[in-house]
Amino acid sequence: MSNPHWQSAAAQKRIAKRNAAERRFKAIGLGAIVLSLAFLALLLVIMLKNGLGGLDWSFLTGSDSTDADIAGVWGATKGSLLTMFVTLVLAFPLGVLAAIYLEEFAPRNRWIDLVEVSINNLAAVPSIIFGLLGLAVFVNTAHLPRSSPVVGGLTLALMTMPVIVISGRNAIKAVPPSIREAAYGIGASKVQTTFHHVLPLALPGILTGTIIGMARALGETAPLLMIGMRAFVATPPGGITDPSSVLPMQIFLWSDEIDKGFVQNTSAAIIVLLLFLLAMNGLAIYLRNKFEVRW
Amino acid sequence: MTEPKLTARNVDVYYGEKKAIDNVSIAIDNGIVTAFIGPSGCGKSTFLRSLNRMNDTIAGARVTGEILLDGEDIYGPDMDPVALRARVGMVFQKPNPFPKSIYENIAYGPRIHGLAQGKAQMDEIVESSLVKAGLWDEVKDRLSDPGTALSGGQQQRLCIARAIAVSPEVILMDEPCSALDPIATARIEELIDELKNTYAIVIVTHSMQQAARVSQRTAFFHLGHLVEYGETSQLFTTPREDRTKDYITGRYG
Repeated sequence: MSNPHWQSAAAQKRIAKRNAAERRFKAIGLGAIVLSLAFLALLLVIMLKNGLGGLDWSFLTGSDSTDADIAGVWGATKGSLLTMFVTLVLAFPLGVLAAIYLEEFAPRNRWIDLVEVSINNLAAVPSIIFGLLGLAVFVNTAHLPRSSPVVGGLTLALMTMPVIVISGRNAIKAVPPSIREAAYGIGASKVQTTFHHVLPLALPGILTGTIIGMARALGETAPLLMIGMRAFVATPPGGITDPSSVLPMQIFLWSDEIDKGFVQNTSAAIIVLLLFLLAMNGLAIYLRNKFEVRW
Repeated sequence: MTEPKLTARNVDVYYGEKKAIDNVSIAIDNGIVTAFIGPSGCGKSTFLRSLNRMNDTIAGARVTGEILLDGEDIYGPDMDPVALRARVGMVFQKPNPFPKSIYENIAYGPRIHGLAQGKAQMDEIVESSLVKAGLWDEVKDRLSDPGTALSGGQQQRLCIARAIAVSPEVILMDEPCSALDPIATARIEELIDELKNTYAIVIVTHSMQQAARVSQRTAFFHLGHLVEYGETSQLFTTPREDRTKDYITGRYG
């Protein structure tokens, strides 16, 4: 049984037009991906071409030097690791606790609304502002050692915490209310419900958000400029209070050098930094898959 | 005549400004099943949730009047809502097992209330709870499997076992079969019939047939009022109120 309507010329034309629109959209979408990936590929090719030659054991274990051949990336890497450690130890518990409080315990009133708006705004504040804050508070007021991972970590923790709060709240919000009811229904208290049931289910989301925030902090340069982590440091820092540099800062400093040898060093350091970021994102995906609960 | 297990006197429940329950007084006895019926939005679930202070967890919900459990005011200053909810357990509309093992689902309640000394005693509680919920034979070989892997009906019986595990005195059931197929529903109804000998059971249901099948007493709610409360057989055959009669004969619903 065929309906004559679909055989008419107008209908055929309409269908043809619709199919053309489908094809057009697919082509544009594909183009958008190819274009952006092409730039990434270009960056990678240039970096690998320039930097791969400089990536050897002495580069990975050495520290900054005025001689491009001797200069290595270990000092800055260790500085980055120490800074990240300080950031994580501060921002993770603070961010998660704040997220839990806001989502599960806070009363609904104007003050809490204000806190929410502030945290959302904080996550969007340019990083250089955090640098100024760190300089004023941690270096000039608290007299913590300038150029040290502890000040860098504190500053980056300020910046990372709002990101963790926001992703943490979203993860907590995504836990179905029926789980909370189930726990309340057998006499679990609010804290027991939160820590035994809600938090474990929200953890994959919280961890993913945390690692993404940490990856952003790892690549941050501007706020660390303000607190003096751009100093020339020829020995790896022994602890979180020693003067130190970080990877992106080392890249920035070397890219400023006139000596040709530093061009290779810059590219090699970028490769190291990218590998770090890749590893962190990989870890985020791994943790998410490992802890994700399906029901 | 013994003292009723639960007594509500002049109870109002508000959600913010809205009055969801208006001046309800009711006495619920031990050893029987009491059914709450009525059209959607009549307040039967709201009233049920005020019996174990589940409404406390909803912002803006407020209960006035008096609800007594064995003569003790559950909204009184000496009553801890957390302890109350262990004494007045609850089974929800949609089966909501924890995304943990079957064993953990049952063991969690007794553990937080310190009901078991050691693993052997906990094993015993888990087994007896699952036996009472009629689930033991189906799951005894796979206690470490996730509770969420069970079928819908099994999940609901797991939730009942979880409620039983903390030795409640009353079990509240909020439309426990509405997400289940007829066979699973029949299993749950059989179970409810057995459990009434041990616990006072209050069940909210959309299905009048279910109320007629499982309950000994029925309360009919309409627009936040308790319209009629009496023996189930009497209420379904010779209702006193016109509104009850219109509802049970299907004139509205």
